[in-house]
Amino acid sequence: MSALERAVRGAKNDLRLHALGVFSVAVAFLCLGATLLAVVNVDHARQRWASLGRASVYLTPRASKEQVAAIERALRASEGVTTVRHVTAEDARRDAAEVGKDALIDALPAEAFPESLEVSVQKDVRPERLEQLAAELRALPAVESVETYGSWSERIESLLAGGVAAATILALVVLAAVVSVVSSTIRLSLQRRKLEVEVLKLVGATEGYVREPFVIEGAAQGALGASFAIVLLGVLYLVVQSHLDQRLVALFGSAPTFLPWPLVLVTVVLGAVLGALAAFWSLRRFVTT
Amino acid sequence: MDAGGDRRAFRPALRAGARFDPLAAGRPVLVFEGVHKAYRADAPVLRGLSLEIARGEFVFITGNSGAGKSTLLRLLYAEESVDAGRILFLGREIARLTPSSIPYLRRNLGIVFQDFRLVENWSVLDNVALPLEVLGLPARTIRQRVGAVLERVGLSGRGHERAGHLSGGEQQRVAIARAIVSEPALLLADEPTGNLDPQLALDILGLLEDINETGVTVLFATHDRTLLDVRPRRVVVLDEGRAFDAPQGLDEEAKLASLDGPLPTRGAAA
Repeated sequence: MSALERAVRGAKNDLRLHALGVFSVAVAFLCLGATLLAVVNVDHARQRWASLGRASVYLTPRASKEQVAAIERALRASEGVTTVRHVTAEDARRDAAEVGKDALIDALPAEAFPESLEVSVQKDVRPERLEQLAAELRALPAVESVETYGSWSERIESLLAGGVAAATILALVVLAAVVSVVSSTIRLSLQRRKLEVEVLKLVGATEGYVREPFVIEGAAQGALGASFAIVLLGVLYLVVQSHLDQRLVALFGSAPTFLPWPLVLVTVVLGAVLGALAAFWSLRRFVTT
Repeated sequence: MDAGGDRRAFRPALRAGARFDPLAAGRPVLVFEGVHKAYRADAPVLRGLSLEIARGEFVFITGNSGAGKSTLLRLLYAEESVDAGRILFLGREIARLTPSSIPYLRRNLGIVFQDFRLVENWSVLDNVALPLEVLGLPARTIRQRVGAVLERVGLSGRGHERAGHLSGGEQQRVAIARAIVSEPALLLADEPTGNLDPQLALDILGLLEDINETGVTVLFATHDRTLLDVRPRRVVVLDEGRAFDAPQGLDEEAKLASLDGPLPTRGAAA
């Protein structure tokens, strides 16, 4: 009988105990997964803002058509500028209403939305160049303000750094939780199978032979716990996404995404490795000749 | 699965199937030399015990409760270690084995306990197959050998039953089957009839004698004096931490015990 078969037999005999272990590990991984999901989406938003390569030039209500046309021409002639689109107050109101799908926005007068020039620049244009262009535009009397979105990128980066720090701390907590849960489960399982272990040792089984199925059970608990957590997180993600999709799009400027497959795989492998190590270490003191 | 390929493995001087070595064959399978063992300093269990067991012998180890019968067996399968003296099994000193070699020592022993020590929720087959699985033998070989040994202990066709569902006598037969399935050089039986009624005890004794007939050395620890008179076997009495030979059964031992002075042991004489 292979070590895997022995592990399956052992797990079957202690099914409830192992199910409880898997559930506990899943709860720990769910917390980590949720944090990772937030970090991944914040990072997506950061990347989007960082690579936007655009600026909004808000015009004063007093700006004349000639002034606006002159600015448009000057911008088109500037190095790195690809397109310039004139957005009237009415266009701005319509765009906002489409994104937010909010009746309140529909009810606002067009004057509540500033007229602007939406400028797109080549992606290789450095932020400093964009800031320089913005400073020149701000000096013009027809220009109210210029938004280059650089500050948004910085704010999101700061948020991301916080998220990464939180995820790291949570990962350590999960590590401790998984080790603790799997160790306890394996020790309990070992207590229940004390006679089996005793008999194995009496018939000449080496420590490795005795330990193998328990380590496999620990690895399976970790991997299953992590997998269940990912599945549960996926379900929760779909539920949240179906209710808040448009609002999230409006907030982040991009649709939320689930954890990428490599990260899912790493999470499951992490669960398996942690489970195996926890089982191995917890048996060290108990399975000695 | 560990197939026993470790270089530090315990290798007995003579194993079944090995080329015949007249020198090894002539040596005792087991030698105790001045063995001391105490769990508490003020109450030693064994005090300079010396004893020799020849290859193929059937030996009863008897004595009062606490005389050291189980301790003697536990020293043999390295569950305990000697405080002083030495125990040689097939020419190897047990106390000098490294912890990683102990499993290989145990593969040369078959052990039967009073409480059977079967995994009750496993089938009879699974229980008996355990020593062969530890050896890493192929599944087909294991099935064949387990089938043969179950037939030998009178449990043919009962392999798929749960061990815990069998009667006491049947459970002890399963335990004996597990002990002999790997063809050990030495069979240790620690009060194997202690939980059985007299008739079943005699059945188990007969079974162990049959196994002994095939050349397996048997050490049968018991405090049941009725068993000792059933067959003319060598009887070693443990008393005050020493071993005394009562070659012709307990009646003779009782006569010898009534005499003054220590009784000579076969080991000590050799």
